[in-house]
Amino acid sequence: MNLSSIIERPPNRARSFYSIVVTGIMVALFAPHPLAAQSRIRDAVEIGAQAIGVVTRESPAIRGKDLTEGYLTQPAIMLTIAPWGETLALRTTVNFEGATIERGELNAGIAGEGYIDRRHPHMYLHELLLTSARRFGGSGVNGVSFTVGKGFAPFGTDDPMARPFEKYPINHHLAQILERAVAIGALRTGSWIFEAGMFNGDEPTGPGDTPNRKRYWDSWSGRATFVPWPQGEFQASYARVKSPENPTGGGVDQRKRSASARLEDVQHSGYALIEWARTDDYVGSARTFSFTSWLAETWARYDRINGALRLERTDRPDEARQVDEFRTPVPATDLSIAGRSRWTIITARLAADLLNTESLSLEPFAEVARARFVPTLRPSGFDPRQFYGADRIWSVSVGARLSFGMSHMRMGRYGVAAAAPAQMKMPGMHMPGM
Amino acid sequence: MQLIPLYRFLRALPVAGVFALAFACDSSKTITPPRGSQPLATLGGGAVTERFSAELAVRGDIAYTTTWGNRSALGNAIKIWNVAGNSPELVDSVIVQNASTLGDIQVSDDGQLLIVATEFSSGSIVVYSLADPLKPQLLSRYTSALTDPGVHTAEVQRVDGKLYAFLCIDPRSGNPARLVIVDLSDPAAPTQVFSAVMGNPFVHDVYVRDGMLITALWDAGIKIWDIGGAGQGTVANPVAIGSIVTRGGEAHNVWWFHNQVTGEKRYVFVGQEGPGSVGTFSSGDIHVVDVSELSKPIEVAFYTLPGAGTHNFSVDEARGILYAAYYNGGVRAIDVTGDLSSCDAAAKSSDGRCDLGKMGRERGHGLGDVGPVYVWGVQYTGTNVYASDMLNGLWKLGVVAFPPD
Repeated sequence: MNLSSIIERPPNRARSFYSIVVTGIMVALFAPHPLAAQSRIRDAVEIGAQAIGVVTRESPAIRGKDLTEGYLTQPAIMLTIAPWGETLALRTTVNFEGATIERGELNAGIAGEGYIDRRHPHMYLHELLLTSARRFGGSGVNGVSFTVGKGFAPFGTDDPMARPFEKYPINHHLAQILERAVAIGALRTGSWIFEAGMFNGDEPTGPGDTPNRKRYWDSWSGRATFVPWPQGEFQASYARVKSPENPTGGGVDQRKRSASARLEDVQHSGYALIEWARTDDYVGSARTFSFTSWLAETWARYDRINGALRLERTDRPDEARQVDEFRTPVPATDLSIAGRSRWTIITARLAADLLNTESLSLEPFAEVARARFVPTLRPSGFDPRQFYGADRIWSVSVGARLSFGMSHMRMGRYGVAAAAPAQMKMPGMHMPGM
Repeated sequence: MQLIPLYRFLRALPVAGVFALAFACDSSKTITPPRGSQPLATLGGGAVTERFSAELAVRGDIAYTTTWGNRSALGNAIKIWNVAGNSPELVDSVIVQNASTLGDIQVSDDGQLLIVATEFSSGSIVVYSLADPLKPQLLSRYTSALTDPGVHTAEVQRVDGKLYAFLCIDPRSGNPARLVIVDLSDPAAPTQVFSAVMGNPFVHDVYVRDGMLITALWDAGIKIWDIGGAGQGTVANPVAIGSIVTRGGEAHNVWWFHNQVTGEKRYVFVGQEGPGSVGTFSSGDIHVVDVSELSKPIEVAFYTLPGAGTHNFSVDEARGILYAAYYNGGVRAIDVTGDLSSCDAAAKSSDGRCDLGKMGRERGHGLGDVGPVYVWGVQYTGTNVYASDMLNGLWKLGVVAFPPD
């Protein structure tokens, strides 16, 4: 099963850009499609699931202490129901990290949603979206789509859960905007994809949280993607996010930018991503803090063995911590930060396919990461070397990923903005770990 | 494996580069050195290096400072100082369990109690007996569901003869910030008498005097409540009288100035706390609000220090000198006597307020000569000014050496 599978649409006649944008969505939403009646349940319902069992040792994890912990992480079920093909499709991802990693997962340098140096659990309802798409032109590629529900805003790069590494890059909150109530329009024409979306600015405050109704549509983002050839993708995106860390509003706003180049070979056995992301904090119209990230990662497979390498340099806000020093108060009590540090992390991964069928895979892996950090504001209310008791952190993770029907998934794009059109579907090909 | 031809990849890289360059720009903030006033003498300092220092409370020859955040140790210590000499001498420390930050600290007006606010989480106030001022003895720790996740500030004042603590509670996801008032008549068993959600998005501090309560409500400005002084409200049932949103919001702290020479109670000073990074920079002005009519407060003046922002205040009300903690700007001493709403055109801002700096009212500045500082709080004691410095500990300073005009 392949969640990116798309039923081919017969071409519509060409229309002007504006009429397509306005009327295409309406037509796609309400016009029954002749192929709909022919859809079989087997084609209309797709399901996938995954979970990763992992043991991580960090040295030091905090205040000179080493920690070794085990998790069942990234447990998720994905479901797509598309009885009318692209005309109307429901997509949902249920994530059980709220139950399995409530304390957070050791991930040196990461910060967000009240967790620091531990990755926060994602929401139980990670995605729930209705998408309606309509293709036009003869290629079966061009089209418009409209998506509404809860999911990713059109910004930045793929979710790390759909990329090679088990450990997240620490730029997660700089390079993606997720788990929001979204309304997204997308247009694909030739080699270009344009997306624009509105969403609630407030970040989730826990796995069971729901988007704040009073904040619906107070934020927006747009993404332009250039696809010069089927395996190459370049995107630039921009977002204005209102008060992400204060659910009631009135907190610091963010202006976010992202640019990336993504390459992948046609057999899905090699992949590379170069990414730049930046978030500027604003109070009113005044910019306060900036956080920048550069990331490059690559992955390749040879027979049953695959390996990956990631280099990342990301600025992180250092905030006051709670008695549990892996947690920060949310929302913050004012507009200040304790400091800002720059993290340079090299992560290497080696994995093997023990079991690799079209629908089921078991992939043991090992990841090693080395993180160095320096304060970028001096003097600072947070001296990382003093706090961690070292000038670098080593992390070793060993585990295995079991997945079902999750081949070659990507997360963060919907409708016609999903880069691979119908013709690119390659049954039987999949990229474990992605 | 069929990889993309290298030349196609390289050809595409400039595209990504152009995007990146087009989006990337930065500017660094500069801090203007203090100027235009006389330096306050630095008499001595007492070092705290393992923790960041926070608020201070001085009574007689004893001073107490709290600690904040995460340095090589958690900010869970109360430092006890002998300040009889020029250099504060650390005498003892008290560790408060289950706290990562101790913000506010205050000695009751009779000198019998020491009250400390704790964050995170859950929030509380810790009440100590000062029967022996050098050995505070724990009397009680007040916490409730409404003090979670933290008590950011705790103002201890007497209203109609009874001692109360006014607690500003941090917001938490799903629970907005609120004010909780606790009766300390029996310090061993504090009891809540009032609670209400306040602030946008925070209620950050309060000021209590003459039976009036003034709340600093961040972007909602300040609000004046009668809690007995005007005969309409009580502590258990405050009645709002007036409010004003000061320019820029971010209303953080308040001082209602009672001029001891003229008897005038015309001005309220409001501290604005803008964004900052501990140790490096800060922002926010002092706003002067004319409360001649409590129901119709008007902002008439301000003081700004480019490159630094204000925090807590202490006022010499006999001489009319406002001492303001100014984080990386050290301590600023501002003449607040006379009419602050009248100034010549050169000192008037485009919105009609008077700029106290341009009026030449900064009379002194402290800690400009001791290296980097980040001053959280100040306290004027009649003979000296004490400053708690997050980076260094506790400083003892001289006062403004000449009377204001």
